[in-house]
Amino acid sequence: MPQPSTLRFVLGALVAITAACQGDRSAEPPVHLIRNMDHQQRFDAQEANPFFADGRGMRLPVDGTVAVGQLRDDGHLHRGRGLDGKLADALPSQIKLSRTFLKRGQERYGIYCTPCHDSAGTGEGIIVQRGAGMPRPPAFTDARLLSEPLGHFYDVVTNGVRNMPGYADQIPVEDRWAIVAYVRTLQRREYATLDHVPKRAAKQLGWTPPK
Amino acid sequence: MAAFFPRWTNQIPLALAFGFPLSVVAIICAVWYWASPRYTDAGYRPEQPVEFSHRLHAGEMGMDCRYCHNTVERAAVAAIPPTKTCMNCHKLIKPESERLAPVRESFETGEPIRWNRVHLLPDLAAFDHAPHVAAGVGCNKCHGRIDQMDVVEQKEPLSMSWCLDCHRDPGPQLRPRDQVTNLAYNEHYDPDSDPKRKRKLDELVPPLHCSGCHR
Repeated sequence: MPQPSTLRFVLGALVAITAACQGDRSAEPPVHLIRNMDHQQRFDAQEANPFFADGRGMRLPVDGTVAVGQLRDDGHLHRGRGLDGKLADALPSQIKLSRTFLKRGQERYGIYCTPCHDSAGTGEGIIVQRGAGMPRPPAFTDARLLSEPLGHFYDVVTNGVRNMPGYADQIPVEDRWAIVAYVRTLQRREYATLDHVPKRAAKQLGWTPPK
Repeated sequence: MAAFFPRWTNQIPLALAFGFPLSVVAIICAVWYWASPRYTDAGYRPEQPVEFSHRLHAGEMGMDCRYCHNTVERAAVAAIPPTKTCMNCHKLIKPESERLAPVRESFETGEPIRWNRVHLLPDLAAFDHAPHVAAGVGCNKCHGRIDQMDVVEQKEPLSMSWCLDCHRDPGPQLRPRDQVTNLAYNEHYDPDSDPKRKRKLDELVPPLHCSGCHR
């Protein structure tokens, strides 16, 4: 028969192991007994690679080079400016205004803009409300902004202005135009009259134009 | 002649008859419980170089997941944001904070912050976020209530059987496309009666064959 002290040790160890439950928190990485192919001879997105001096697995483009398809040479589409170099007041020809496009703009606006501008564009977003140092952005219905061309908003979303950072890295070009178009609708609904409402929609809603 | 075997050896056959099957069952149960990814993987909560709180940003302030993880709809990886994304706000908000010092340093030097990956899916499994988001699988189905976590931890086992549970019966896991990043979404949803859904349940065929994920 085993010694009582050995028995106590084994029992103690068993209790210690079995007391650990599924889902217990641990800062230690998972232990896998069988590690076949857990880590393959490749580097995934954003993985560190000790081969390179800067440790990045994802390489930065060489200075002064442009990747295929990344040449942003359309002044209107990529910079919001016409051939004369002035800010354009229309959507680029590649983009068709539609209901889905505006819905897309609304969704994207909700993701990237509401934290500061709030969902109605008054400039009272949650970050501004918390008062941690973010100044209140102007409402889109300010007289100055009402008279700005569409290209101005595209330029601001892309490159930023004053306290606002540029969003060129976070939002693809088409989505930026969708946001711009949605900002225009946010402005419109502030001063819209019944004349702006399509006749069919007005009829459905039971709105009759004043005589 | 004295007995060759002491008297207690008479009990060996009986002990074996009961003890052996019991220990086999015990070993099976132990492996089933403690070798499962529910034990080995779930609950992993690494320390991060910056005390970033998802509970504050995504929960309290209600920022959309995609503000930072903006590639999730287009790419396989829901990218960890570059330091620039942090600095969008933190250039002005708490610019003196001690806890944000590594973020400012990274922004100034261009040296990326080395975040610790939480969900360590093995390289042998190919996972793509984009089709899951497009199908309407909520973020919290795999990641849990991130908006309630100060320090992010792995909630689900991410094991093969766990993946297949959903691939075999995706219906109950789905939600409207515009509710994917709403981690609190908890409503009954019928994909087939949603007029906005382009692909109905029949057309949604999550792969069950090996090369669907192991490629």
